[in-house]
Amino acid sequence: MSSPIRSKEGRRRLRPKLRSSVLAIVASALAVATFGVATSASAAAAKKPTITIWVDSTRVPQVKAYEKAHPTVKIDMVTYNGNANGSGSLQSRIALDNRVGGGWPDIVFSEENNDAASLASSQFNYPAVLNNGTVPSKVLGGYAAGTLAGCTVNGKVYCLRNDLAMNLLFYNSALMTQFGYTVPTTWQGWAALGAEVATQHPGYIVGSVGDNWDDDIYLWPSECHVNDVIKTDTIVINGADPNCTRATQLIDPLVKDGSVTTDSVFSSTFGTTYKNKILMMVGPAWYGQYLFPGIVTNGDLAVADPLSWGSGPTVTGEVGGGLWFMSSHLKGATKALTASILTWLSTSYGSQGISPGYPAYVADETAWVAGQQASGLYSNQIAPVFAKAATEVWSGWSPVPWSTDSVFGSTVVTGINSGQTLTSQLSAFASQLADYAQSDGYTVVTTP
Amino acid sequence: MKSVVSHQASTPQGTTDSLGSKLRRKRKNGVAGYAFVSGYFILLALFGIAPAVYAICLAFTSTGGHVVGLSNFIKTGEDFRFLPAFENIAEYLSIWLASLVVIVIGLALMLHSISRKVSAAFRFIFYLPGALAGAASVLVWLFMLDPTVSPWRLFLGIFDFKNLGQTILPGHLPIIFAIIAFWAGAGGWIVVTYGALNNIPNELIEAAELDGAGPMQTALRIKLPLIKKWITFMLILAFAAGTQLFVEPQLVGEASLGLISPTWSPNELAYYFAFQNNNFNYAAAISVDLLVIGLLCAAVLVFRTKLFEVE
Repeated sequence: MSSPIRSKEGRRRLRPKLRSSVLAIVASALAVATFGVATSASAAAAKKPTITIWVDSTRVPQVKAYEKAHPTVKIDMVTYNGNANGSGSLQSRIALDNRVGGGWPDIVFSEENNDAASLASSQFNYPAVLNNGTVPSKVLGGYAAGTLAGCTVNGKVYCLRNDLAMNLLFYNSALMTQFGYTVPTTWQGWAALGAEVATQHPGYIVGSVGDNWDDDIYLWPSECHVNDVIKTDTIVINGADPNCTRATQLIDPLVKDGSVTTDSVFSSTFGTTYKNKILMMVGPAWYGQYLFPGIVTNGDLAVADPLSWGSGPTVTGEVGGGLWFMSSHLKGATKALTASILTWLSTSYGSQGISPGYPAYVADETAWVAGQQASGLYSNQIAPVFAKAATEVWSGWSPVPWSTDSVFGSTVVTGINSGQTLTSQLSAFASQLADYAQSDGYTVVTTP
Repeated sequence: MKSVVSHQASTPQGTTDSLGSKLRRKRKNGVAGYAFVSGYFILLALFGIAPAVYAICLAFTSTGGHVVGLSNFIKTGEDFRFLPAFENIAEYLSIWLASLVVIVIGLALMLHSISRKVSAAFRFIFYLPGALAGAASVLVWLFMLDPTVSPWRLFLGIFDFKNLGQTILPGHLPIIFAIIAFWAGAGGWIVVTYGALNNIPNELIEAAELDGAGPMQTALRIKLPLIKKWITFMLILAFAAGTQLFVEPQLVGEASLGLISPTWSPNELAYYFAFQNNNFNYAAAISVDLLVIGLLCAAVLVFRTKLFEVE
């Protein structure tokens, strides 16, 4: 059994096999190690001042404009979903970066208006404070009054607004003349006209409730208290608030008669179904340049002041608007460079002139409006309407760390889609908001 | 292994010489085997076992790293999104697993009793959708489900669905996700089950036929009991994959611009805790919940069907 000859022979035979097995193990270990090598190689490359900018696809031209104007600055542009519709992709990324202690994007654009509250919280600690000299106070002072409120947490400004997204009343002036209607100034007038359209011109619409941001379009301007942070960690959420039900009760019959559609305005067939069939639509300022071209014939679109409720001052809501953040993890020259890019993207006309939204930075507004007017889309003068509405956003709808829109989508909009009324879904909407608020440590009250 | 050695020892040809060469061969095979397994094992340890151990550690500690016992499990269990998420997944699993067992096995038995050429063509067709990666298959389904663009809009019209929002109402989601999972996953299992059926010795089937068993009886009384372990194996894997449902609700939610709760399934809830609330400990607690549920179900199935017993 233990003959020396045999064992030697065995060893000899075994050797090439052993060698190949060792090679196999080494190879697989190497394959695993390659990941590490790749990461450290890219880390070395990142030491050159390359500024990483995360934007949604709509903001890509603005970053490209910066690159063109500043060819010496190295930009690494990454497109993502803009953190829209409660997707939370930005939070996911920051949470991972925080965990590994690196890799934060230097500049980030977000469509989610609640992101200053969320990202500046101790959970994420991402954005840099801008009003401590990082961005010149002259720049901060150049924003329309109150427009940085959503960026401000405990007196610290964490972001710069890209555009103002206040809701306006868009209407088709050619259709209005053709049908012999007058443009309403109140919500009640709007609803009455909707009922008339349903009988006289079926197929034409006066609005839509198919999207999760429709709470911003109908409940916010109605001063509905479902999202009102009255002091730190205390929030008013009351689905039975008459201010909420007055809006939903107005819309319910219009959904039933078809003059308010339940189709999403960004569904694939919205443009073909409602081409020149939108008589009116309340929506954010960016609907003008972003939604209506191609759906409303050029030169037929007009804007009117936000609708009022008949008594009290007219207020409106807003949908998105877009926030520019920069990382708090930067130092020295890179920080200064990043701050200058951030300022350029959010305030220079080179960037704002090509943005579909109404600039939040006052100095850009006149030129932007002139550009819009020159595009031939509108039949009336938009400058006074935009300027007035920008100051009318109701302050009782606060930025919060969860997505109110997403809750509205999964409760009210799905309710409408299953044949329920908006009014009947308000309590589910409010109770789920209260759940979110409580799990985030808020005290929920029902009266302001 | 033991039986091989004793078998060798008892062979009449078991002379010192041939035994030595057999042992040598065995040793060589052993080393090569380890080498082949090593690549998988290293990756398994790095990306399978280590994260699982890490998750278990996280689940029993606080954000600050203190041991907190079951506190994370209790807090996540009390969360308002916890029960709905588990209800959703339970509803989805019951539809998906039932259809998997009944339809996959039914189809495999049918394929096994028809001519080989025809069955090969059908197996290929059944397998095709599985060739699409998970996310891509969901995208295909997004088109199928949107009545405004779907090639099946007539069919969707029967249910009076006029837009994507109406198709993907919360009550419809478990069945929609089960259909997607079936469409993408059943083909692979049909091929596997068919392979299992091919392992059945022909003599057995012939004997049954001689005894007067018809195709139905052969299928149900002979073939089915013999592939019981394969069915168990399929159920364990499908259950584990099913409880981890994530891509489907996430993508359908994004495509509908947020009409589905971002915490529809337990895995999504864990994701939400980790990345929206930055609470990896809660997320780990939910993933450990899922691990325990998966292990329990697997254990029940393994012991009930004696999966690992070798006759």
